[in-house]
Amino acid sequence: MKNLIFILFAFIVWFPLNSLHAQEKSGYKFGKITPADFNLAAAKFDSGANAVIIADVGSTTFEGNNKGYFTLVFTRFMRVKIMNKNGFDIGNRHIFLYHNSDGDAEKISSLKGSTFNLENGMVTETKLDEKSVFNEKYDKNYDLRKFSMPALKEGSIYDLVYTIKSPFDTELRPWSFQGEYPCLWSEYEVVIPPSHHYVMSLQGDQNFDVNTAKTVFSNYSIRRENGTGPTDLYNISGSSIDQRWVKKNVPALHEEPYTTTLDNYNSRVVFQLNFIQWNAETEKHDYMTTWETRSKTLLEEEEFGLALNYENSWMSDELKGITADVQSEKEKAYKIFCYIRDNFKATSQYGLYALSPLKTVFKNKQGNVAEINLLLTAMLRKSGINADPVILSTRDNGIASASYPLISQYNYVICIASIGNDVFKLDASRPFNGFGLLSTNCYNGWGHIINEANPLPLPLFADSVRESNITSVLIINDEKGKSSGTYKSTLGKSESFNVRREISETSEKTYEKKIQSESNPDVAIENFGIDSLHKYDFPLAVHYDFDVKNLGTTDVLYFDPMFGEGYKTNPFKALERHYPVEIPYQIDDVYLLTMDIPAGYQIDEMPKSARVAYNDNEGLFEYLIQKGNDNLQMRVHLKLNKAFFPVDEYPTLRDFFAFIVKKESEQIVFKKIK
Amino acid sequence: MDHIPIRGLKRYAASAKFTLKPVHFAPGNILMLFLSLLTLNGLAQKFPASSISDSLIENANMVVRLEEQSYEIRSTGKVVSHERHVYTILNEKGGRYATYRTHYNNKSVFINSVSAYMYDASGKEIRHFKKKDMEDQPAFDGSSFVNDERLKAGSFYSNNYPYTVDFEEEDELTELIQISNWYPQGNLKISVERSVYSVTAPADYNIRYRMMNSDIKPLIEEKGGKKSFTWEIHNLAAYEDAPYVNFLSYTPNLMIGLGDVEMGGYKGNMSTWNDYARFYGSLQKGRDILPEETKQKVHELTRDIQDPATKVSVLYNYLQQNTHYVGIQLGIGGWQTYDATYVATKKYGDCKALSNFMVSLLKEAGIKAHAVVIRGGAEQKEFVTDFTHDPFNHIICCVPLGGDTIWLECTSQSLPAGYLSEFTANRYGLLIDDDGGSLVHTPAYRLNDNIQLRRISATLDPDGNLNLESKTSYKALCQDDIESVIHGISREDQLRRLKSEFSLPTYDVTYFNYREDYSKRLPVIHETLKINVSNYAQVTGKRIFINPDILTRADEKMSEEKNRRFGIELKDEYKHIDSVQISIPTGYETESKPIDLEITSKFGKYVQRAGVSADKITYYRMREQYSGHFPAKEYTDLVKFFNDIYNADHTAIVLVKKN
Repeated sequence: MKNLIFILFAFIVWFPLNSLHAQEKSGYKFGKITPADFNLAAAKFDSGANAVIIADVGSTTFEGNNKGYFTLVFTRFMRVKIMNKNGFDIGNRHIFLYHNSDGDAEKISSLKGSTFNLENGMVTETKLDEKSVFNEKYDKNYDLRKFSMPALKEGSIYDLVYTIKSPFDTELRPWSFQGEYPCLWSEYEVVIPPSHHYVMSLQGDQNFDVNTAKTVFSNYSIRRENGTGPTDLYNISGSSIDQRWVKKNVPALHEEPYTTTLDNYNSRVVFQLNFIQWNAETEKHDYMTTWETRSKTLLEEEEFGLALNYENSWMSDELKGITADVQSEKEKAYKIFCYIRDNFKATSQYGLYALSPLKTVFKNKQGNVAEINLLLTAMLRKSGINADPVILSTRDNGIASASYPLISQYNYVICIASIGNDVFKLDASRPFNGFGLLSTNCYNGWGHIINEANPLPLPLFADSVRESNITSVLIINDEKGKSSGTYKSTLGKSESFNVRREISETSEKTYEKKIQSESNPDVAIENFGIDSLHKYDFPLAVHYDFDVKNLGTTDVLYFDPMFGEGYKTNPFKALERHYPVEIPYQIDDVYLLTMDIPAGYQIDEMPKSARVAYNDNEGLFEYLIQKGNDNLQMRVHLKLNKAFFPVDEYPTLRDFFAFIVKKESEQIVFKKIK
Repeated sequence: MDHIPIRGLKRYAASAKFTLKPVHFAPGNILMLFLSLLTLNGLAQKFPASSISDSLIENANMVVRLEEQSYEIRSTGKVVSHERHVYTILNEKGGRYATYRTHYNNKSVFINSVSAYMYDASGKEIRHFKKKDMEDQPAFDGSSFVNDERLKAGSFYSNNYPYTVDFEEEDELTELIQISNWYPQGNLKISVERSVYSVTAPADYNIRYRMMNSDIKPLIEEKGGKKSFTWEIHNLAAYEDAPYVNFLSYTPNLMIGLGDVEMGGYKGNMSTWNDYARFYGSLQKGRDILPEETKQKVHELTRDIQDPATKVSVLYNYLQQNTHYVGIQLGIGGWQTYDATYVATKKYGDCKALSNFMVSLLKEAGIKAHAVVIRGGAEQKEFVTDFTHDPFNHIICCVPLGGDTIWLECTSQSLPAGYLSEFTANRYGLLIDDDGGSLVHTPAYRLNDNIQLRRISATLDPDGNLNLESKTSYKALCQDDIESVIHGISREDQLRRLKSEFSLPTYDVTYFNYREDYSKRLPVIHETLKINVSNYAQVTGKRIFINPDILTRADEKMSEEKNRRFGIELKDEYKHIDSVQISIPTGYETESKPIDLEITSKFGKYVQRAGVSADKITYYRMREQYSGHFPAKEYTDLVKFFNDIYNADHTAIVLVKKN
């Protein structure tokens, strides 16, 4: 075990090696199919599945090559059964092959496929022919092999085996044990030479049926050809690590609402090269190790931090203009932030590396997220403000390890600025984003401050974000007995951003129409307005006046006191749940109503006040209603003090919202005074 | 489980650890010289935003300052095209026009050059790129698995509106099969300052054209043995967004029709529909030969059947059981089918190959069938029958059996023989005959075909919980969506879908079943659902509020539009009938209920009746929706019709405890 380090995520339970099944082998061989293999009745899987992966067996081993280095040999065998006509998609296969601009490339060294059908009790075989394997250029780094398995029918089985040889030892292929289709046997084995040391992370469900690690003696013969000169020959021998995992009867993954990404729950193993050491005498060649060293190397990389420490005199003139007349350090930072946010266009929604020099980003006023926020950091530093880049993994990208610098798990850069005793998290890559605000997508556990002296983790947990919405409705009677009122809804940070974006994509007029069509059908809206639409540091508010129509025409009047704002359906629709519920923030909704009782009417019946706690003090739903002489007042408060709800809390959460839906659909009944 | 790469992530072999790409090479003096040359060149053409008239800015996200498209047919084996697109982007929404995409395939379509410039509001050049700087990708069209087409794309980004982009491209084609149509105003949120379109051909070449929604005429010039046609249009203003508009019916557009054509060594003519069909047919000649084994299978399956229609069904069923759709569009521009033997052995093919295979099977059984070239999809431009052009993208199969024509969608593994879904129903297609062909019209499914019939019986308990069983039959176009669900996702996912799609407070689906009835020409799907709804009705101290319309409610209100400009297009035609019976707790009497309603309008019909007895609510709802085109001034009536239905669907019955 000496050259493997295990990383476990906080929410995952680790099961130790299971030696009972240590020797169990899959026993599948390409093309060895009997009529009995077509009967899967005994297997445990979702019987409604369109296709079942009978076996998916992968392995990566190393071999010496003649270029003076190692080649990684990845082999994958798959056996798939098509259960019905909806399962043909799994017969369309794509294999991606990487190459870099230096001529190093992954290559397919063999590819073999056959489809087997049971016809009149006999097994027939149709081979995948080479001419049906298409080669496509995907982008400048990836080529694609595409093929469709032949002769597929309901009930067909196909076998597929291929080997990919790769010179990239920084990219030991990861393995997913779970996917779109149920899998009866998923296996991965890696054999790593003594020179190579990887950090490995396991995530998702880790109940492996087989999980073994053993040392095997191996000998690698590496040759380096030197043109016409003599060929160098190296022999590396010693104890290799042979690690093998098997998971049986793996159910398919299913999307569920309110999850960050299914990837977090997918049972998976991922590797990152830690260091290479040829033998005890030679120097250790580090690839990651600690956050301290990793931060240092990131800051020395041209595509990340190198330019932060340059003189960067090209920005001086512009900076002078931006920060002229500022009264404080905070105002200076604010001006620089707004300048970048309002003048720079993001070319993508993510980015960990600056693909162009900061000077070019500055000149072109465009860049990916990393480029824009690294430029922000550089400009803040240049004007004397203490600022550092922070790397993070967004919610849709999955959770990154807190303890080890697995850089490939990160996909986003923000900037953190310290001014006096205040610390501000800044993201200038998003239009309409306020100073010190991050999108909900950034709140996904630990980010990391990239600072040479102090590379600290930065907590970015959804539980720490509160989304406060306040809606108030006031209805009064005028002298003539007509009812009219005002409506105002002040939105939380996240919703304010969403509305700003929606309006930028449509128009204020379209948004007004939408509010109108969603509003209470018994009112006529006028004087519609939006506050702080362009003041991004403030919450946005929607407001309008209204007249209540058709009052006084009937003896009995039914009135929705929530004014159409209540939950009409339970957001947690499904009865069962497989993964935790992850809401991007703590919910905090307040609704207030003050209304005069319509002239000539009295209250015949009204909802009762109620108060329900969620798990003692983790949440609250409060519905308070009070009748005065000729008016009534109501206050409804929904508050959740956390954003992450484990699976076993799901029924409670669903019941909690069921109660809210029920309560918020109750009506007030007014009766005409006779 | 496939490993999908993320674009832009770099990867290094250990030997190349942290070696980074060289910084962009930009020697100052050379660049300066280049820029100054450009400035001299382009002085007159910088398109300052200030010169755009206000009428073109109103409602627009983008203004086409200048668009030039010219196509020069030198011979059927050589066409040179030149395009220029100068767009001023007014806001974020117009930003997508700052991306330039162009297709090629390195077989018959070659890009000679692309140059792209970006100017600020004053017309000063900010940046530029050329063909070599563009991203190169496979061109996914949404349905293909493999094709030859590739795409080059390049983008400008800016937050400083307005700004102007200027794209220029020259292409060379070694085939002549289609000339791009002209849509000077592609959608209603853009306006056009000036747009020019021209076609040049040898004087003896038969160019045809048809201008739609405009009366502008071409300038025709003839010199040096060439004839050229040039159209020019100015000042088309943008419009406010509006629902229920088919903008293609309003915007000027030009179709170009070809005479002689050539592709992949095949020559033909497209002057008439018959010529077009003859050319298409010539590409498929000799590709209908089945392997001996398949021939025997055909005879085995049809030997004992007398009725030709039954033979068609049996062979169509054989196709559905033994093949499936894989979009492989290689070869001659996606025009020539893979041969019948290929499909017989691989068991897959695209629409051409599967239709060709079907026609071959039927031929072997002694039944004459035809491929029909058609345009699939929902958004339809009106088909012009008296002008031969090429709007097609799909192939189906047609079997004329005397008076009874059977249509076959060969890419479907589930539709019954004779039924075309919404994808190809009710439109023109070109039927390919032995030596030529002609236009045919596919069946239209009407009000009395597209029927959704639902019966619900339910029990309400004293706490307001509802227990219901719903039996629904969906016929013809009403079954299309459900058909694609039952044949698209697993049973487990079907249940997941049902458990989340209804607009009910808190509920669970405890049973579901679908049964397909394909015994008649029009398919019917029978659905049974059992659903428990918590707190469906609101029960207060003395009242119960319950909406008797449980599953078939109009879910959106419409808002009024001032100054509607466009006529209304309603596409869907259907009839929904709901009968609901709800057992209710006893001891209540009716305080309020929806009034009996019957609305008749040119857009449709709506009937609602609700009755309450001592222990039961009975409810009947019928909605007929008509399709058609209606003048703009009737929009107010349409809003009223839809909103009256919405209000009726959302009216509760109120029961009050008897004293």
